[in-house]
Amino acid sequence: MAILKIENLTKTYPNGVKALDNVNIEITNGMFGLLGPNGAGKSSLMRTLATLQEADGGSVMLNDIDVFKNPTELRKTLGYLPQEFGVYPKITAEQLLDHVAVLKGITNGKERKEIVSYLLNKVNLFEKRHQSVKGFSGGMKQRIGIAQALIGKPQLIIVDEPTAGLDPGERNRFHNLLADVGQEVIIILSTHIVDDVRELCSNMAVMNLGKIVYQGSPITVIDDLRGKVWQKSIERSEVADYKNNFNVISDKMVAGKPIIHVFADTNPGAGFENVEPNLEDVFFTKVNLQS
Amino acid sequence: MFLEFLKLEIDSAIRKPMIYIFFFVMALLVFMAVVSDNVVIGGTVGNVYKNAPYVITNYVAILSIFGLLIAAAFFNTSALKDYDNNFSEILFSTPINKASYFFGRFFGALILATIPLLGVFMGFLLGAELGPKFDWISADRIGPFQFSTFINNYLLFILPNMFFAGTIIFALANKFKSTVISFVGALVIIIGYIISGTLLSDIDNETIGALADTFGIRAFSIDSKYFTPIEKNTVSVGFSGLLLINRIIWLGLGTLILLVSYFSFSFTTKNKKAKKLKASVKTDENANLTLPEYSLNYNSGAGLNQFVSFFKVNLTSIIKSTTFKILFAFSAIILIANLLNGFEYFGLQSYPLTYKMMDLIDGTSAIFVIIILVFFSGELIWRDRANHINEVIDATPHSSFISLLAKSVSLIVVASTINFFLILISICYQLVTGYTNIELGLYIQNFLYTSLPTYITWGLILIFIQVLLNNKYIGYFVSVIVLFLLDILFLILDVDSNMLKIGSTPSLTYSDINGFGAALTSVHWFNLYWILFGVLFLLIAGLLWVRGTAGNFKNRIKSIKKHITPKYTLGITIVAILWVSTAGFVYYNTQILNKYKTSDEQEELQVEYEKTYKKYQNVNQPQITKVKYHIDIFPKKRDVLVKSVVTIKNNSNQPIDSLHYTIDESWHTKIHIKGAEQVLNDTKFGYQIYQLKEALQPGKSMRLIIVSSYITTGFENNVSNLSVAENGTFINNFDVLPSFGYNESYEISDKNDRKKFGLPEKDRMPELEANCTANCMSNYLTNGSADWVDVETFISTSSNQIAIAPGSLVKEWKEGDRNYYHYKVDHPSQNFYAFMSGRFEVARKKWNGIDIEVYYDKKHPYNVEMMQNAVQNSLDYYITNFGPYYHKQARIIEFPRYASFAQAFPGTMPYSESIGFIIDLTDEDKNNVVDAVIAHEMAHQWWAHQVVGATMQGATMFSESFAEYSSLMVMKKSTKDDIKMKNFLKYDLNRYLTGRSREVDKELPLYKVENQTHIHYGKGSVILYALQDYIGEEKVNNAMRSFLEEYRYQKPPYPTSLDFLRHLESQVPDSLHYLINDWFKEITLYDFRLMKANYTILSNNKYEITLDIEAKKLKADTIGNEIELPLDEWVDVGFYSVYDDEENATIMHQERIKFDKDKMSLTFTLDSLPVKVAIDPRRLLIERVYKDNLRSLTEKTD
Repeated sequence: MAILKIENLTKTYPNGVKALDNVNIEITNGMFGLLGPNGAGKSSLMRTLATLQEADGGSVMLNDIDVFKNPTELRKTLGYLPQEFGVYPKITAEQLLDHVAVLKGITNGKERKEIVSYLLNKVNLFEKRHQSVKGFSGGMKQRIGIAQALIGKPQLIIVDEPTAGLDPGERNRFHNLLADVGQEVIIILSTHIVDDVRELCSNMAVMNLGKIVYQGSPITVIDDLRGKVWQKSIERSEVADYKNNFNVISDKMVAGKPIIHVFADTNPGAGFENVEPNLEDVFFTKVNLQS
Repeated sequence: MFLEFLKLEIDSAIRKPMIYIFFFVMALLVFMAVVSDNVVIGGTVGNVYKNAPYVITNYVAILSIFGLLIAAAFFNTSALKDYDNNFSEILFSTPINKASYFFGRFFGALILATIPLLGVFMGFLLGAELGPKFDWISADRIGPFQFSTFINNYLLFILPNMFFAGTIIFALANKFKSTVISFVGALVIIIGYIISGTLLSDIDNETIGALADTFGIRAFSIDSKYFTPIEKNTVSVGFSGLLLINRIIWLGLGTLILLVSYFSFSFTTKNKKAKKLKASVKTDENANLTLPEYSLNYNSGAGLNQFVSFFKVNLTSIIKSTTFKILFAFSAIILIANLLNGFEYFGLQSYPLTYKMMDLIDGTSAIFVIIILVFFSGELIWRDRANHINEVIDATPHSSFISLLAKSVSLIVVASTINFFLILISICYQLVTGYTNIELGLYIQNFLYTSLPTYITWGLILIFIQVLLNNKYIGYFVSVIVLFLLDILFLILDVDSNMLKIGSTPSLTYSDINGFGAALTSVHWFNLYWILFGVLFLLIAGLLWVRGTAGNFKNRIKSIKKHITPKYTLGITIVAILWVSTAGFVYYNTQILNKYKTSDEQEELQVEYEKTYKKYQNVNQPQITKVKYHIDIFPKKRDVLVKSVVTIKNNSNQPIDSLHYTIDESWHTKIHIKGAEQVLNDTKFGYQIYQLKEALQPGKSMRLIIVSSYITTGFENNVSNLSVAENGTFINNFDVLPSFGYNESYEISDKNDRKKFGLPEKDRMPELEANCTANCMSNYLTNGSADWVDVETFISTSSNQIAIAPGSLVKEWKEGDRNYYHYKVDHPSQNFYAFMSGRFEVARKKWNGIDIEVYYDKKHPYNVEMMQNAVQNSLDYYITNFGPYYHKQARIIEFPRYASFAQAFPGTMPYSESIGFIIDLTDEDKNNVVDAVIAHEMAHQWWAHQVVGATMQGATMFSESFAEYSSLMVMKKSTKDDIKMKNFLKYDLNRYLTGRSREVDKELPLYKVENQTHIHYGKGSVILYALQDYIGEEKVNNAMRSFLEEYRYQKPPYPTSLDFLRHLESQVPDSLHYLINDWFKEITLYDFRLMKANYTILSNNKYEITLDIEAKKLKADTIGNEIELPLDEWVDVGFYSVYDDEENATIMHQERIKFDKDKMSLTFTLDSLPVKVAIDPRRLLIERVYKDNLRSLTEKTD
């Protein structure tokens, strides 16, 4: 059972932006979702956990490894798929994975060949192993990305915005792959797509402006909201009015007309109807109402 | 709309720093070249103004080559800007006009590209203004400015060069949309320039070469080839000559390229061909769906595995890159072009020896390796980040040092690959040309000793620079500065130590005789020193290396402390200790044990010496009359021990009470004089004075014993004494003995340097005097230290070597493991000889009681027999025509190629391995340059060794010019072919004409030559050859013989050139008397033009030929001002029956005609029709432009 403890993590960029503002999270085995809008500080947190960026203060412990004091130890047990993942030109899928496998400490050539072909099969790219990765589609590239992250028995796997830009089919395949490995290790999935978390994660946190604004299980948080989310279809000209008078969680267009969700303990009035809350409401509640 | 785009282009560029940086760099470079003599662009300025129009044009032309890379940047940016910013699709969907867009951009970029080169003008203006003001250079080295010079240079060089390059780069950029290809395009132009230069360097192809030159540089240099200093100072480059034709050709070609590019340019972007992924057959055999077992391993073995994996990935990426492939191909092309050009030496080819190949490989690979190291160091460091894979790699548990090490090693391996590839080509070339002595080991040694260490040092340091600066382009900029500007800085600061110039070692010259020589030990130590230095920096780079996002430099330093492991600290400490110890050892050897003087220190010492001791120059000193040497040479240790017993005699009519000596500090010298007391011992200058207790009376002699030694200790910063060698020792008598009295040759001779140090102006030679006695008491070879000397030598060397001294071998014996020899000269000779030792093969031959011997290295047996024949032919001609030979032997001795000359000592001629022994003479007939050099040196046995000139203007005329003449006569006797002689003499004429245009002081006529090679060899041979043609070989020889008879081995006063002219005058018929004045006493030039050459067929089937001729005779003064003289000359007119080119032609008829008008019409009647007609067909007269002397005949039409 692995435990990742993040305590009082802070990071301020030279331009004054507080990327991490006293972040405290404890994560155990399983898939952990980190939800937040663009610019919330998710990537800063991910990079810090992946030893690619130093924090100003606080600590990160994976079991008994102090990530800041001993980054090399952490790297030995880390799988990381960054938000931006590119590949060398003119290098095949197999060569790339082999290279990463060596870097991760698999020194036996035969073992390396086996694990590489296992992973290529796993991500369904075995037949394309002799092709240049540069020519792969976005989804294929992401699959190579996750394959490399899985090399080397990682205890901690960090995937940063993995599904951005994937079509629904690719996204499903990707989810299955993660779910497959996600039981015995910690997987942190950072995303701004609510459905990713809903489908995969037993635990989650919502991040906004460098702060953790919510932490818990997706089910609990939805339970908390049950009965407090109200929906109404309005005219476009009325949006501003409603925003002034109600706790509007979100407004979106449905068939050309705005539908607003409002947070209220009781029915806020005429035309509103109670709806079953979803994770999106949670997300907007945490993000929009608190800032 | 055209103007809109033009303006837009310029506006956007002038807001960026690039253009200012380039402008500044150009201005700075030129400024430094103007105000300092140490900074040189393309060649020394010589005796013209630092800002002379000629100099300005040269700088502009040369810098426009570099300007090309700048142009590439502007044209490429201009063509690709919208495309790169993904703005093109928006822009091209607007209704803009294609022509305006295309040409607006192009001409905008063109204007921009020329701006940095205007920095050259700025450099000249500032340098000329500030240089004299701050006393960096003296004011009389700055001339007046002509604004037109700037304008013409801009219009003739800057604008056309940028235009032509621009059209190519702009076209490439529009077509391929790749910055790399654009830069490669620029590189191709430069390389094309270099290749066309090597292919067309021969004097015969120079016109084609000039027109083929994209930059116009060679066209200008031919147009200005024979410029006198005055012309260089005053004539601005103009719209004429070859240059104009060249410019028109390239402008036209550029316009064509631009138009083609314009018509193929389209706003609609072509769809990139989508690469289809190969449909692959599903193979499930390898399917492996259960997680395999594997273990993780982080010990040192893992480090090695990681290194290998990194290395492979890096190497593949470089080798597969287009840039590498192109550089690879170009290095091969240049090498092959050079090889095809062969190893020319005065029209002959040398054997393709391995060391020649090595020199060529080193020369060819250097520039490419530098480009590769700089470019790929940046690429490798930025590759992960550029491909967005850095975060994945950075998050794996590898050590940064391993990754950097792998990058460095791949860089080094790539550079080495080029080197090995070039070696392979060279070997193929050797085999193809039928040369089978392939010294593979030597190639490898050369690579290991020189190339590889340089690659390692620079590879590591460039990686460090990229890591430290953490910005690719600043990294490139700093790399280039460190590579090039640092050297210039050290030059200015007068730093010579190889310990400070990154990667530098003593220069290593391989000789077939002496191998890598004495420098090798030193080179090994310096290599170790620099490699450790590089490793140390790589270790530091490992700490500074950015993993993830580290932020600013302060944070990077901070994180070093966090991340450094004890093992890493230990590693750095060990390397640091090793480096410091090596540094200490190298410092001890090169700076303490073997002190050396930097060039500035050396100069100052010379100045001080002159200022302190010049007063003793005319102190009366005795002369050497007899020397007995005891010399022991220890080749392995490079030690020489000498004991000389010197007899000196007071030849003056005053008693001498003190003896003066100047001792060279590299030799340890002790002088023992009985009955004398040392009264001065200035160790700084090596000046010593001994007071004799009893003065040496006139006519009396005395003996001194001088013990001197050269002892090698440790190793040096640069080998200071190449003459003492492990094999091939070659020391002169003046190395072994101190100078007697004040040594004038230590004085600084450069006019400008003398002025700078406040020394009085100095003549190169004392003025020629008629009927001189007092000033003719010393000759120019021994400078008063001796007249004719009796020399006896006991010399020993190691058992596997032969030692040679002047004179006949009296005795030869072995003692212990050493060889001993006793030599004695047969006739008192000049005090000018050498002692040599080496592992020689000896070829002997006897001719009329004279031993003809060649001492050669066993690798060079090719020409030995021919050399012996050449000696014999020379002896034959000279004994018959000039008089007896006074030695019993004539020896040719090969010496290492540290110098490439042949020299004549009494009975002995050292001959460099590089100029005669390795020339391929298999298919050559008798008159080749190897024979000519031997004939020349043999002639010195008469001219210089039997009669020698007083130390005065004109002295070298009857040593060097006579030796050249004698050699030509030997050649003429065997070849009997005028055309061959003409083609041989053309090198001499060219030597004279180019030499006089580089004259740094003033030109003097032949009879006042001041020991300048272009006059005594070049002009001397042309004039004497013409003279024998005009008055007859016999007459010239008579004059020379009677002159020799008067002065042979005579006591001083020594003769002058006037004494020879006295003998000559009686041999010249009155009708040709003007030649003595025109050719010997004046600087006379001719200019003939054949304007028209017509023929008509006469009724008797003969041909009447009419020629319209223009003729001029010019007299030049010492600085090149010419005045026209009235004509009254005898000139040949010749008719060719065959004329394929200069070398393959037959003269069917020639007549010597009196030219007495500047425009003449001549008529001849001939039996058959010649193909061409020429004035002065054998090129006897000195004329700069000869092409217009020749014409084909046309039938006359009335």
